[in-house]
Amino acid sequence: MSRRTGKALLVGVFMALQTALPATAAGSDVELTATADRDEVALDGTVTLEVTATYSQKGDAGELQLPPFRDFDVVSRSQSEQVSFAFINGAPSFRRTTVYSIALTPHHAGDAVIEPLRLAWQGRTFATQAIKLRVLPAGQSPAPQAQRQSGPQDPRGQDEQAPETPDLADPFQDLHPGTRDLVLRATVDHDHPYVGQQVTYSLYLLARINVSGIDKLQLPRLDGFWSEEIEAPQQLVGEARVIDGVPYRSFLLRKRALFPLRAGKTSIEPAEVEVLTGFGMLFSRGNARRQSQAVPLDVQPLPPGKPAGFDQGNVGQWELKATADPLQVAVGQPVTFKLVASGRGNVRDLILPRLGAIAGLRAYDATTTDKQAVEQGHVTGTRTVEQLLVPERTGQLELPVLTLELFDPIQRQYRTLRTEALRLEVIPAAPGSGASSATPSQNLLGAGGVRPIRLRFAKTGTTAPPWTRPWFWPLLALGPFGLAMLLVSDKARRMLTSDPSKQRVRGARGAARKRLRFAEALVAGGDADSFYAEIARALTGYLGDKRGVVAAGLTRDELAQALLVRGHAGETVRKLATVLDECDRARFSPGSRETVARQAMLARADKLLEELDRKGPG
Amino acid sequence: MKRALAKLCCALLATTGARTSFAAMAFPALALAAAVASPAPAAAESQSSAGAATLFADANTAYLSGDLPRAVAAYEGLVSEGVVSPELETNLGAACLRQGKRGLAALHLERALFLDPGDDDARADMLEVRRGNVDRLEGESEEGGTETLSRVLSPLPGGASAALLIIAWTVGWVLLGARMFRPAERSLLFSAILSFAVALLAASLTLASAVGHDLALKRAVVVAASVPAREGPNDRSISHFEVHEGTTVRVEDEEGGFRRVKLANGLAGWVPNTAVELVVPPGWAGRPVLITQGP
Repeated sequence: MSRRTGKALLVGVFMALQTALPATAAGSDVELTATADRDEVALDGTVTLEVTATYSQKGDAGELQLPPFRDFDVVSRSQSEQVSFAFINGAPSFRRTTVYSIALTPHHAGDAVIEPLRLAWQGRTFATQAIKLRVLPAGQSPAPQAQRQSGPQDPRGQDEQAPETPDLADPFQDLHPGTRDLVLRATVDHDHPYVGQQVTYSLYLLARINVSGIDKLQLPRLDGFWSEEIEAPQQLVGEARVIDGVPYRSFLLRKRALFPLRAGKTSIEPAEVEVLTGFGMLFSRGNARRQSQAVPLDVQPLPPGKPAGFDQGNVGQWELKATADPLQVAVGQPVTFKLVASGRGNVRDLILPRLGAIAGLRAYDATTTDKQAVEQGHVTGTRTVEQLLVPERTGQLELPVLTLELFDPIQRQYRTLRTEALRLEVIPAAPGSGASSATPSQNLLGAGGVRPIRLRFAKTGTTAPPWTRPWFWPLLALGPFGLAMLLVSDKARRMLTSDPSKQRVRGARGAARKRLRFAEALVAGGDADSFYAEIARALTGYLGDKRGVVAAGLTRDELAQALLVRGHAGETVRKLATVLDECDRARFSPGSRETVARQAMLARADKLLEELDRKGPG
Repeated sequence: MKRALAKLCCALLATTGARTSFAAMAFPALALAAAVASPAPAAAESQSSAGAATLFADANTAYLSGDLPRAVAAYEGLVSEGVVSPELETNLGAACLRQGKRGLAALHLERALFLDPGDDDARADMLEVRRGNVDRLEGESEEGGTETLSRVLSPLPGGASAALLIIAWTVGWVLLGARMFRPAERSLLFSAILSFAVALLAASLTLASAVGHDLALKRAVVVAASVPAREGPNDRSISHFEVHEGTTVRVEDEEGGFRRVKLANGLAGWVPNTAVELVVPPGWAGRPVLITQGP
């Protein structure tokens, strides 16, 4: 451990010579030294400067002149003196030692200097050397080697594997309030807990002035923690403390149990308080607002090797117990099964094992009851799972062993808790004694459980649904398809069963043309009689088919009259009569058998047919 | 019965004239629809029903006396004999549940609900099974609609609505044809429209029932105690989660001895064929029976 001093300053400075001479020089009667008790100090801490002046001659003590202390405030100052006489080799020796103790608190973080102190004695001036210090931010502890006085050692630093015990050390041990009269201080009992392990967060107000009340207290949000109240004092009760030689009163404002939910480094945000200072209402001098420091936490994940069935919430020191009451019961009578877990930890996160299905036992839904308490600053709890069981057959029934896997953060190991197996003796129910004998005023008819079986059964077909059968879609198409077929067939039928006379009318022109084509074949060298007969048949056949006029039984006048009545033009009728007469004449007259005459007759007949047909279907 | 109905239809067809021949088209449809709506029991079934009833009674006696293994064996014997009954499946499910076989219990109760969607005993036992299931699905609503839809659609009378569809559809066309040949008969047109409306309603019911049936064919239950669901259909694929017995899943694909299953919350993975059982086994409801050839 290094000790930084003011270089054992035996430095005497003769102001008259304006030259600094060491105090250890021959003939020097005063020895002046200055030492600081640390070379690193937090912004909210103090450093003690000890100045020792040793005189070897009688006379008054010198006057110590303090420097301006640009980087520090003087918190306190004290002085002590010791005078001694001794005979050395028969000669008397005189020695006077004056010790000045000055408590300083820094102004700012960073490098700071304690300026040289001067001592004026018998016209001479002695000075110490400047002392350099490093000032850390508020709330930060100086490195151990930088502290002169070693505080309580961290047990974890000594043995990492030793069982962890809550740190019950003084929450103000590293606090140096300096000149401040009100300090809000947040502390935790340990700063690297496991997930699910309790951390006790305390908030203190440290005051060296009178505090009449707390106006507003704003606690941090505590995200990432399950939080339970331990203490929330309604009245301020102060406790006297002396810190750095200064009397204070500390007030506990809040104490909460925190259960970290996630592993990793986190920080509890600063709390804020508004303090009423002074003496009560009448002499109140005002209020002051203070903020605590943030509290860093390093939440450790649960160690590896988790057993199967372990639930993340099962952290703490728990005991497990199972009971059933009564153990001898008539069939159909209820048995109350209780599974109780009690101990330290967060009971709300605890997951208890469940009683599975047991043959011969009808189990109703379980109910869970939690009770929580605080004992000696630790959150304790009891979780009770209560389940109603109804034996459905006689004989021995066993409630199996239930196991609970948990992690004990104190022992730093996983533990398995087991209940004892419970045996139920189920006896037949007495005749006439139903459930009413045990619970005369109640008949518990809770839903749930396996329904009674069916004693009769009916076979059911599992045929494929109709729409998956191959005949389904054709059958569906049968309706529209049938109608379409019906319409087609009806049309065909109509065509087949039509009137022959109408057919003749429609085919009259075609038949006449056919005959004319036959006559045309006879033009060149055919028989003239046949030629003209065919011409006459073509015309009279047409009239018969088309107009219903049978020319064979009519005279020319009667024929003409019939055609005129049917709307034919007189000129056409006259031409027809002429052609028919010429045909008759040619058939029996040898002089009219030339080819040219035949062709002309053929043309006239064709033209006449066209004229007759132009009249329309008539 | 079908033959007699067909003869009757032919006789009616022969006695009607050509003009009313369209009316005769409805009769074969009626005959087939009647055959769809009322399946004829086989003669062999009546012979074996007495033996099945005796075995069922034996199984029930064993169940009630607490001899669950014997009861389960007897119920399974009936199932293997091809007996299909919702009561049988319900009892078998209850026996499996009492034995702690949650996967098989869920399977048989699901089958009972498939055969008789209104079976409230099977439904209550199913709830009891699910209460003890290991798997708790988070965000079940993502795919939960599918199961709800299946539950809603399954009770629809698909066979009856299909028969009604065929009848109303065919009669509608018949009446429409009659209207075309007898335009003066206005009531024919009204009757045809009414028939088509009934056919439309029956078609909607049939379609809904077909959708429900299709969903039911994909349902399956995890029967293995615990099985990893993998990213691919082989044992070397990565597994991100496990499923446990009793969980109902939907089979979406099959490949190389694995089935791709999807949970109600949308989680999907490949599991071995043997780990899940289809609610509708081969041979039921038109599902083809797989014939495996011996060595």
